[in-house]
Amino acid sequence: MKLRLLDSGARGALPGALNMAIDEALLGSVSRGESPPVLRLYRWSPPCVTVGYFQSLEAEVDLDACRASGVDAVRRLTGGGAVFHDDEITYSIVLPLGHELAPDDILESYRLICSGLIGGLGLLGVDARFEPINDIAAGGKKVSGNAQTRRQGCLLQHGTILLDLSPERMFSLLKVPAEKLKGKLVEEVKARVTSLRALLGRAVSYAEAAEALSNGCSSAWSAELEPLRLSSAEEAEARRLSAERFSSPEWNHRR
Amino acid sequence: MIRRRDHKVPGGKLLRVEVEIESGLVRRALVRGDFFAHPEEAFEAAEAGFVDIPVELVEETALSLFSKPPLRLFGATPADIAQALGEAADETQAP
Repeated sequence: MKLRLLDSGARGALPGALNMAIDEALLGSVSRGESPPVLRLYRWSPPCVTVGYFQSLEAEVDLDACRASGVDAVRRLTGGGAVFHDDEITYSIVLPLGHELAPDDILESYRLICSGLIGGLGLLGVDARFEPINDIAAGGKKVSGNAQTRRQGCLLQHGTILLDLSPERMFSLLKVPAEKLKGKLVEEVKARVTSLRALLGRAVSYAEAAEALSNGCSSAWSAELEPLRLSSAEEAEARRLSAERFSSPEWNHRR
Repeated sequence: MIRRRDHKVPGGKLLRVEVEIESGLVRRALVRGDFFAHPEEAFEAAEAGFVDIPVELVEETALSLFSKPPLRLFGATPADIAQALGEAADETQAP
């Protein structure tokens, strides 16, 4: 199997709207047969809260708190829950439906794609496993969340692996049912979620995680990864989608 | 009257539904949450089909609308959505 590898994060971190727009631009490229299946690695700056397609940004995110602390807020193309993207490595993968990593069975495709990430975590010394329906856990705690959509004859899945975790910061940006519950929610997240720093007792850089993930995916999927940058057409399309869709109130406040 | 209901699905996803009820009819329904459904537009089309449905037919209608191909749900089932909407529309329960 051959996959295009796009390490967007190697050249720096990008704003949330542009990150989501690049994923959609790649979906278009693969769908039109202009790109081979692609694995992309990336990171975020400024930090960003994303919500799932079917969530209400307004209901899930404290938009005033985000504005005050310079954090972006964007709706994703994919379903799932609200995520605070800060100290993490993010991946996306776009495959034509029917590809060996994109079978009709949705749960099976999560499992297959996550096997690459689990391989990468193994190379870092983390014993992780797939936690249905869309998580990866290590030491009994979630270390990665994943979200998939299928459209235009393709599967797009993106997900995060936490390099570090700050539940206090996260809950300062999310809406909680009652302020007095915040402390309890922070404790729950600490009990349920972990990061590479917590698992390994040391900081893991983006570059180290990116190398481990690409090697882990290559080996678990028996895939040859061919580094290939964003084409100028893809970049132009991503800029357009970033401005017209992922930065627009019509999209972000759609539901 | 708008009635809202949060409904936890077995497995952990949360459905946050909203129904607008007038004279025993559900005028519209909105299903938000951290579940997956694709293609996403097919989910919205199913939702948009929820117009002027008698309250007692809410669950049956939801089951039929949210089971229609090409829509595929993941993390919640059409039955979960039907149950959540049914609870929201049940005026004997607190809003």
